[in-house]
Amino acid sequence: MATEKRFSDKLKTYLLFAGPTTFVFLTVIILPFLFGIYLTLTNWDGIAKTYTFVRLDNYLTVFKDPVFWNSFLLTVRYVLYTVVIVNTLGFILAYALTGNNVRGQNLLRTGFFIPNLIGGIILGLVWKFIFSTVLVFIGRSLDISALSYSWVANPNKVLWTLIIVSVWQYSGYMMIIFIAGLSNIPRDLIEAATIDGASGFNRLRSIVLPLMVPSFIVTVFLTIQRGFMVYDVNLALTDGGPFKSSELISMHVYKKAFLAQQYGVGQSQAFLLFVLVAAISLTQVYFTKKLEVEA
Amino acid sequence: MSRIKLGRLMLVVALVLSLSSAAVLAQNVEITILNSKGEIQTQLEEIARYYTSITDGVSVEVIAAGVGQSPFERAVALYASGNAPALLMLDAGDVLLFEDRALALNDEKWVADAIANSLDMATHADGRILAFPATVEGYGFIYNKPVLDNAVGGEFDPKTINTFDSLRELFEQVADSGKDALVIAPEDWSLGAHFFALAYAAQSADFATINEFQAGLKNGTVRLAENAAANGLMDTFDLMKEYNYDRLDPLAGLYDRGTELIGEGEVGIWFMGNWAWPQINDFDKADGQYGFLPVPISNNPADLGNTQIPVGVTKYFIVDGEQNSAAQQQAAKDFLNWLVYDPEGQRRFVVDANIIPAFKNITITPADPLAASILDYVQAERTMNFVLNLPPDHWAQVGASMQKYLGGFIDRATFFQEVEAYWQGL
Repeated sequence: MATEKRFSDKLKTYLLFAGPTTFVFLTVIILPFLFGIYLTLTNWDGIAKTYTFVRLDNYLTVFKDPVFWNSFLLTVRYVLYTVVIVNTLGFILAYALTGNNVRGQNLLRTGFFIPNLIGGIILGLVWKFIFSTVLVFIGRSLDISALSYSWVANPNKVLWTLIIVSVWQYSGYMMIIFIAGLSNIPRDLIEAATIDGASGFNRLRSIVLPLMVPSFIVTVFLTIQRGFMVYDVNLALTDGGPFKSSELISMHVYKKAFLAQQYGVGQSQAFLLFVLVAAISLTQVYFTKKLEVEA
Repeated sequence: MSRIKLGRLMLVVALVLSLSSAAVLAQNVEITILNSKGEIQTQLEEIARYYTSITDGVSVEVIAAGVGQSPFERAVALYASGNAPALLMLDAGDVLLFEDRALALNDEKWVADAIANSLDMATHADGRILAFPATVEGYGFIYNKPVLDNAVGGEFDPKTINTFDSLRELFEQVADSGKDALVIAPEDWSLGAHFFALAYAAQSADFATINEFQAGLKNGTVRLAENAAANGLMDTFDLMKEYNYDRLDPLAGLYDRGTELIGEGEVGIWFMGNWAWPQINDFDKADGQYGFLPVPISNNPADLGNTQIPVGVTKYFIVDGEQNSAAQQQAAKDFLNWLVYDPEGQRRFVVDANIIPAFKNITITPADPLAASILDYVQAERTMNFVLNLPPDHWAQVGASMQKYLGGFIDRATFFQEVEAYWQGL
């Protein structure tokens, strides 16, 4: 087995080890993806047996649809806020919980991580109750005007309910990634800096943060990607309401394809969304990679 | 290499085993029902279990469309996976989209026994009857009788509410008695598909005229601001907003809390339909004394809508004609016949599952007071069209505009413009 030189031998080995995975990947991801692109060129409603080709009309409809772009911009705002807050908070939590002098470290780490283990739908329903009943009750009892009216029912505040829940959900997860990154920073570097007289803040800025860039690449990528794809929390917490003021892009695409029964248009939106999110994520990875340093 | 051969052998064995087990099962006829009325899932499962036990070789299984998932989407996914159920419960407006897939049911016995107009939404232009009317539903103002009795000081007579002014007086009386007159559910489906649909229904008792009105909205010839019924309906809505339990925060309400408020008698009236009964029943403190009031839209009692409530067939069963075997299709048809003609099937469907049947031969009635109230309206011929042939995203789009109006974010002129813009953009 040591001498696999011929192509057919390599192919055999490949098929033996990666064949099943490749097959599943092709049939479950690639084929539906290509078929989806094909469907963007039709006016299919999702169930009829016949449909006609409309060439690029669906894409034109999408480009001219202000509701789609509003929803996309809303999602961009949501993603910006969540990415910044989740990563800042996750890093602060991780930094605070990696010192030697923190009591109950493991308990706190577990506590912060737990929200991530709860499914988005349940989480959304729990928070919907908190926002529309618990907080309103507190606000009215204590006469706090900001809490006296349900945030979920207020078109100007509803986006923040989504952001708060997402931050609560993901900060702990990102914290775990940051903790792993922090524990990989060589102790000798920190010690050398301490001996040279660097203050705590300087150590953080000049040594810890640059060495944490690989972690940030992962966490920022994950938060961007999850932010654009969020659906379950959106559905359970606000269902896009009131009057579509919190309808994020995934929900918009879903409703276009299945509720408005315009499968072709919905699929075009989904494909466009794929291109945009892929472009944003790859750009992010490319530029943050440049910030990486060697220890 | 011997390990690879062993692996292959195991694969082959597994394949053969799975094939042979499939062959054993094929002797029975298994049919699946897609249920899209979440509130009767348990009852329907019980019916399926019972039907399986009394028939020889037929087993029925019920699957549900998820909460918040449109039945259309679930059906589409099942068809796309080549795994369509034998019976699919669909929304009335979606039935004809399945024209290529559904079996024509013209030869079934129940066609002759279906009540008037119940097959309209299921009849294809080529004459095929594609679906079985599964349930009749209606909506309007649900009232809690003890609360209204207390407010009017005596026995409340629902027939006295037949004009805008009489409704206003009732609201005032309830408010004077120390309760809130009503609660408005701010859900887009309730406001869009039910409340504003009254404006279409009130155009005419004739279905064709309502369709013409819709066509007029589409081509831009209908001006809602000049339409008496639409304006009257919004006048009533203004009145409702004024007396709304949630008037301080009108968009904060939840459907579930509405069931609680009306059931516990915190409010006198709730705009909703008879499907809410199982949940209201959980909070019932009025000893089951509930009924429907019409939503009056003018001061002339003779105007359509002032004494009528909308009633229609909202859900249909189609029999899949494509992905199920002939035996399965026959079993599905037999099951439908059993529901309509077998006394036990009737009892379980109508009484246990609280379904108002769409068949003349069924004489038993559901035990719940809201269904009884609807049947009273049907027998007194005080019904109007439940407009169900609206475009598929009408409830979401018009519902969103209604929410803006309810929350005071837009005025009536803008609201009418948004609705007209929606229709013209179709």
